[in-house]
Amino acid sequence: MPPPAELHAQLVALLPRLRRFARSLTRNVHDADDLVQLAIERALARAAQLQANAPLAGWMYGIVRNAWLDEVRARERRQRLLTPDVGDSLAGRVSGPTDAEQLAVQEALASLPEEQRSAVALVLIEGLSYKEAAYALGVPVGTLTSRLARGRGALQRLLGEPGPQA
Amino acid sequence: MTFDDETVMAYVDGELEPPARVALEAAMACDPQLLRRVEAQRALRARLQRACAPLLEEPVPERLLDAARGPRAPAAVPPLPRARPPVRRWSWPQWSAIAASLVVGALLGPPLLHPPDGSVTARDGRLLATGALAQALSRQLVSTQAPNAAVRIGLSFRRRDGAYCRSFLLRAPSPLAGVACREQDAWRMQVLSGALPGPAVGDYRPAAAAMPAAVTGTVDALIAGEPLDAAAEAAARGRAWSQ
Repeated sequence: MPPPAELHAQLVALLPRLRRFARSLTRNVHDADDLVQLAIERALARAAQLQANAPLAGWMYGIVRNAWLDEVRARERRQRLLTPDVGDSLAGRVSGPTDAEQLAVQEALASLPEEQRSAVALVLIEGLSYKEAAYALGVPVGTLTSRLARGRGALQRLLGEPGPQA
Repeated sequence: MTFDDETVMAYVDGELEPPARVALEAAMACDPQLLRRVEAQRALRARLQRACAPLLEEPVPERLLDAARGPRAPAAVPPLPRARPPVRRWSWPQWSAIAASLVVGALLGPPLLHPPDGSVTARDGRLLATGALAQALSRQLVSTQAPNAAVRIGLSFRRRDGAYCRSFLLRAPSPLAGVACREQDAWRMQVLSGALPGPAVGDYRPAAAAMPAAVTGTVDALIAGEPLDAAAEAAARGRAWSQ
């Protein structure tokens, strides 16, 4: 693992991207931040597993995503929200997208099955290579690319992506 | 030769290995249908990045900073660095930072505040520059362009028939390089190539000048005399690139 001070600094630097990725999973600002916090805590607890030259970003995206899958399963069990303070969720909406285009894109993303959404978010939005994204999601590259292709096709249908003539 | 959707997507994602990439680029230069498919994938990628870029600018809650800094001595941690740009490629954070700068905005006008979704279009059997690329070709001068402008003009020159031509490198959403010549009040593509930024292409050249061989070869084939100097280029622009 990297020296602790360096690891902490790298985690701090990653926070904006982790929050963005978490937002694509949860759609809710507060849930996304809870998710990132949980992932950071898990990551620090497991930092010894991180090899010195392992890609920290890919590792962290994977932890965020697994934490989300855990949460979804837990929600299905107990049918309640990650954040018990429901009154807070209104504040979350305020900093949500106000722009119609942002809203349309996020709605379209949200309608994808989770596997496709994670693949699209990691490669197209976060800019990970196929190898890094496959590592984060714990799947072979071929699985990643077929999820990516299906996700893209669905997004183009949903967003009515204009051709170059537009 | 046909290319399936996953191949086109891999190309746009910068994941196609050189033999397949070269084959696709060669096909793209003379197959407008294929170019449209590439452009549609580029446009989707750019659209997603554009819509999600503002999320990176939001302030990070203190509780997350505290969690990431760990239990010890938060004061010793340097101030929040900016998010690292995504790996390897021209990234949206860089792009939005540049587009937000007044230099580029003033130089190239509002359309470049959005990324060039459709930079090339097919019309009457010709490939023409559109949008931000067309604007840069018409307005941007080599001598005054910002070093990190979204469209870099390589050089300007006259073709043997007197037409003005310019080589260019478009960095977002995916690298595209080419040569366009002024014909009938439009910029017509002479060659197009998916370029890799920086030293990955022709590492003997300075990164800023990294043009694919297809582009430099086309310049060599077309050019009459020397490239335009700053004064000649400004004068040509003043005449709207008409001969």
